[in-house]
Amino acid sequence: MPQHTMKRFDAELDQLKEHILTMGGLVENAIRDSVESMLEQDQELAEKTIERDKAINALEVQSDELTRSILVRRQPAAGDLRFIIAAIKVVTDLERMGDLAAGIAEGMLRTRKFPPTEYSNLEIIGEKVLLQVNRALDAYSRGDIDLAMEVIEKDKKIDKRYKTMYREVLTYMMEDPRSISSSLILTNVAKNLERIADHATNIAEMVVYIIRGHDIRHVDHEAAARLLTEGA
Amino acid sequence: MQEAAKKISISALKLWYGESRALHGISLDIEAKRVTALIGPSGCGKSTLLRCINRMNDHIPGCRIEGKVTLEGQDIYAEDVDVVQLRSQVGMVFQKPNPFPKSIYENIAYAPRIHGIAKDGPEMDALVESSFKKASLWDEVKDKLQQPGTALSGGQQQRLCIARTIAVRPEVILMDEPCSALDPIATAKIEELIDELKNEFTIIIVTHNMQQAARVSDFTAFFYLGDLIEFGNTNTLFTSPANKQTEDYITGRFG
Repeated sequence: MPQHTMKRFDAELDQLKEHILTMGGLVENAIRDSVESMLEQDQELAEKTIERDKAINALEVQSDELTRSILVRRQPAAGDLRFIIAAIKVVTDLERMGDLAAGIAEGMLRTRKFPPTEYSNLEIIGEKVLLQVNRALDAYSRGDIDLAMEVIEKDKKIDKRYKTMYREVLTYMMEDPRSISSSLILTNVAKNLERIADHATNIAEMVVYIIRGHDIRHVDHEAAARLLTEGA
Repeated sequence: MQEAAKKISISALKLWYGESRALHGISLDIEAKRVTALIGPSGCGKSTLLRCINRMNDHIPGCRIEGKVTLEGQDIYAEDVDVVQLRSQVGMVFQKPNPFPKSIYENIAYAPRIHGIAKDGPEMDALVESSFKKASLWDEVKDKLQQPGTALSGGQQQRLCIARTIAVRPEVILMDEPCSALDPIATAKIEELIDELKNEFTIIIVTHNMQQAARVSDFTAFFYLGDLIEFGNTNTLFTSPANKQTEDYITGRFG
């Protein structure tokens, strides 16, 4: 895209995108570490993950500040306006993802005394969710609509996996009532991961909005895909 | 953050045109190498105040001033002040571009020659070139320096006027609605230019367009009926102004 006549505007947009991608990187680390802390029962890693959430929150505040300034000073229009609106939403999603990851680490700390004996599919769900987040950020960074649509489509599989895991953990609880408290925590952890994936989907939807201007939230996937091919 | 340097200090400035008082006692400090925007509805005194800073009101019959304006601590209304010298330190760019009816080159060379800033020849050529470069106009005029300045487009003429102001090496540039006669693209070029010029000059701009004030300035002063209502950081003033009148004006709820 050609540069703005006001060069500082370009610099500010670049900086905002950089903030968001940095935030995204921190969120990815937080998800990876929190899941690992649970699987490995690594208390130190859990505590570190919780502590690091502050950096994500700080970036949220910084990004919002920059967004405010861009709105006031540059009066963005068209693609710039869509980018800014999306930035406000993506930053909120990332911050929530950070909180959810910290929540997983807190779950680890609460299972310390009675660690789960069986983690069910947690490792696999963790990997799948992390991949979703990674792809959503990649799609955002490159403005890749196809990748964004893939992320949206794959979210259903995550939901399914979460339900399967939930049922499995229920059977453990029935088998051994002593495992109930740690099993409940485990299902909460899985729920957090499932929600993280939902936020990744939101980011993917914003990618479509930025690039094409279509709001495909709450539109079923096939209709959204049709809309995008028609407009191409 | 650099220590804020006060370039201009205005204190308790009152101004009358005959019997009517146009400024009711304005106090305002202008920071060096920053852009300060003066905004407010017509008749609020913003242009009058701007014109006090290089004594342009001196020519208006019946105009009377009380209070103080200092440039780097020197009272510009003191008796021993050379007004011509003052205006080379504090340049001005007007609403409508007003190139001299001379060549593009001569538009720039005229004032430095009179002020003895550069001699004709290579020295003057270099000054003309650097002034045009600073005004982001060099590439557009370098091949037609002998053509009349009036042959340029409106936006180019305005940048010519800015280059002409820069050529006498001022410290402060006053701009009185410099874009009101220009289209959006020419306006954007001037705004980008202002952003570059503040590395070297202190700029005070009067504008009717508050979006422009938000785009170009570091500080904004809002005037109403001859009073300074609010002055502050542009981001703050446009996001959460302290005064209700400021809020009403910048959100288009005035009157």
